[in-house]
Amino acid sequence: MVERIEDLNLPNAVIARLIKEALPDGSNVSKEARAAIAKAASVFAIFITSSSTALAHKQNHRTITAKDILQTLNELDFESFVPSLTQDLEVYRKMVKDKKESKANNKKDASTGDAIASSSSAVVVADSEEAA
Amino acid sequence: MASEDLFRNDYSEEPDLGQEFQNDEEMSTEMAEHDTEDVEKTTGQNDTNSSPSVNQPAAKSPEQTKTINGNKPSEHEHDGKLTQLPMGRIRNIMKLDPDLQIASNEAVFAVTKAVELFIESLAREAYTYTAQAKKKTIQKRDVDLAISAVDSLMFLDGALNF
Repeated sequence: MVERIEDLNLPNAVIARLIKEALPDGSNVSKEARAAIAKAASVFAIFITSSSTALAHKQNHRTITAKDILQTLNELDFESFVPSLTQDLEVYRKMVKDKKESKANNKKDASTGDAIASSSSAVVVADSEEAA
Repeated sequence: MASEDLFRNDYSEEPDLGQEFQNDEEMSTEMAEHDTEDVEKTTGQNDTNSSPSVNQPAAKSPEQTKTINGNKPSEHEHDGKLTQLPMGRIRNIMKLDPDLQIASNEAVFAVTKAVELFIESLAREAYTYTAQAKKKTIQKRDVDLAISAVDSLMFLDGALNF
């Protein structure tokens, strides 16, 4: 699945942006500190995945779901993430649903390319409104 | 459906190429769906969503669909920019867990968002030590101090020392 080990690193630019957003203006991050935070983020992802897997197994679920992730975060003292995550998940679910619907519409009038372009951009607009 | 395609085959090649690819896509994503349930479903949607526009430059589409249906399904999942980190990368990291059988797309989304929040809160935590030292630039030392000071970050102990 993973061909190169770099495929597991999180993109530096995004990490840097996320850190910047969290800090007051005028502050900075050294390269080593950013690398440490990036590594910590990967470890965190593995950590909550394996905890969620254990949780799902305990309940005899094969598939881990968003609910498992939220429950795991609660158990591991990251409950402060849960409210904002719950909101984001609602937006995500709505977006997936909209996509499904626009796909159904696309199938109906698959011959007209412009209609597709305009309808999918409409979905994006709706999403960004939702996010704001 | 099938007979229609055949007829069009006789008339012209151009639009028909697109049609064929679209069918291929649908068939393969359908099979994938059976294998891995909803994990592949949204990628399937993306495929069929993108295929109509792909129809016009018909020559390009086969390679694109191959990478999309291949083992890196989610590099292209922008999801309307709901996440800043790439969900495909996060899914790859999650797959390192040998006990993980299937992760729903929602679960991957939740982990991606959680990681984003984690980065922000770790940065903030580390910055308190930076500020204490009357500095503006976070050093590795500040991150280490933050990790050893916060109980919920215990899992990182020793994980960064290599």
